[in-house]
Amino acid sequence: MNRRTPASTAAKAIGVVVLMSLSLFPFYWMLSTAVDTSPLSRGASLLPSGFTLEHFRYVLVDAGFLRYVRVSLIVALGTVVLSAIVALLAAVAVARFRFRLRTQVLIMVLMVQMVPLEALVIPLFLQARNLHMLNSLLGLIIVYLGFSLAFAIWNLRGFVAAVPRELEEAAYMDGATWLRMFRSILLPLVAPGLVATSVFSFITAWNEFIFALTFMQDSSKYTVGVGLRTFFTQNTADWGSVMAASTIITLPVVIFFVLVQRNLAQGMTAGAVKG
Amino acid sequence: MSSSTILDERRQDGAEGFTPRTVPLGRRLRRGAAPWLLLAPGLLVLGVLLLWPMMRVLNLSLQDYELRNLLRGDTNYVGLENYVDVLTDPFLWKTVLPNTVGFALVCVVLTMVVGTVAALFLNSLGTVWRSISTTAIMVAWAVPALTGTYIFVWLFDAQSGLVISTLDGLGLMEAGSYNWFTNRWTFYGIATINVVYHGFPFIAVTMLAGLMTVPREHYEAAAMDGATAWGRFWNVTVPTLRPIIAVCVILSTIWDFKVFVQIYLMPGGDGANPDVMNLGVWSYTQSFAQGEYGMGSTIAVLLTALLLVISVIYIRTLMKEEEL
Repeated sequence: MNRRTPASTAAKAIGVVVLMSLSLFPFYWMLSTAVDTSPLSRGASLLPSGFTLEHFRYVLVDAGFLRYVRVSLIVALGTVVLSAIVALLAAVAVARFRFRLRTQVLIMVLMVQMVPLEALVIPLFLQARNLHMLNSLLGLIIVYLGFSLAFAIWNLRGFVAAVPRELEEAAYMDGATWLRMFRSILLPLVAPGLVATSVFSFITAWNEFIFALTFMQDSSKYTVGVGLRTFFTQNTADWGSVMAASTIITLPVVIFFVLVQRNLAQGMTAGAVKG
Repeated sequence: MSSSTILDERRQDGAEGFTPRTVPLGRRLRRGAAPWLLLAPGLLVLGVLLLWPMMRVLNLSLQDYELRNLLRGDTNYVGLENYVDVLTDPFLWKTVLPNTVGFALVCVVLTMVVGTVAALFLNSLGTVWRSISTTAIMVAWAVPALTGTYIFVWLFDAQSGLVISTLDGLGLMEAGSYNWFTNRWTFYGIATINVVYHGFPFIAVTMLAGLMTVPREHYEAAAMDGATAWGRFWNVTVPTLRPIIAVCVILSTIWDFKVFVQIYLMPGGDGANPDVMNLGVWSYTQSFAQGEYGMGSTIAVLLTALLLVISVIYIRTLMKEEEL
């Protein structure tokens, strides 16, 4: 169906332009507002009225947004490390062993992904309060571990299963122990999957809002998402600063996400076969 | 760490009847306890952080649990009173449920339509333009719900947002004359744009992956029979992709039913304007603004029950397609 008439080529060109501008416009609007010298009087102009990094300077230095970035980074990286370890163990279990209740475990993992996290705010808040885990970075890390784990297990399972069993057998033939096999065969082959999964865990923790809002009541422990709200006053918003801070939150996620999408596809199709 | 424990246990019970040395550890790992030891940390985390709180929220929903109960640490069971209160509250039927269900249905339909159209279009492109356009779509997907919501709030800002400035420039509306966030319909109109923008990339990318597996011959055969593009879509594409479409619809439904951040962060969406509350926000504000944790839990349970029904359908659909 690749009719190459001028009309269909033109239609496709228009389609590409429409699709791309719709997809990118909000993102562009955020960036261009963040560097605009006077965002509030910009009106309907598509180009910013001037270029400045003043909003970024104000947000990071004067408003102390860097502090929130630091909290979010610690929480997200903590989540990534814990979730990668725990998920890898579980993924090996479900991908490499046939055991009773295996299917049930998989279904349960799939089901818990459906649990509306909003419904768990109340019990987890009460629990954290009893354990004096409110305003604690560790408390938030543990909660995010729970949220990112189901997806991480589900995702890694595919990568582990894609590693040919023969490679493992060959390692045993050469006299390797399980640990040695794990380190030299399984881990390197699963690495792309581990990276992709870790990025998703990072994004989950970095983007989360409700629990951060509920758990972190001390402003020195705000995450980026909660910290962003401090730029709003009763009825007005300093949109230049809000968009500059939004850019700081959004940019790493977008870059990571776009990179990992490729990695993910690659890992699924080519990864294990090459050995 | 766990592997050495497994080794020790195996050596101690020694029931296998062969010397541990000759059989590689991996072989023995495949037996009995090994998978459970590997699964233990994961299941523990999921159990403590997801299943146990689920039980707890169910328990709380049967109590008149307020701030003072929390401080004293006592219980206050009232049976199904909270459920009766919530289910007989006109606010649920007139405001919250329509806001939740109506909004979700509109979002699912629009997300599916936009996502499918995008996927069909991407599928018709050459490799280079397809991957460039897909990357652009990924950006839309990656923008966090949190900041995405602020971007749309800014676009629709009543004083100096792009939309009002454009309308003002065209002489249709005066800037600052009307606040879209106070009206229930325009509020949810903006929320719909936000949610569809955030949700269509997943559908487009998933559907595209499916479309690329449909054998070209099927289309050619249909074209020979004189089917139009529209006919080919309904008679070839849709039946072939039925399982993928089902998964997309169900996942979108689940996501759109529990939308929270995109409503909560809009002006008035945090409970300040009761007209625009949905189930998630209602549950949250009952608990954390009013201190009525029992009532909040009841609403949360109702939302979960609603989602559970959809999830069961989802699992059953998936189970038919893929052997786990």
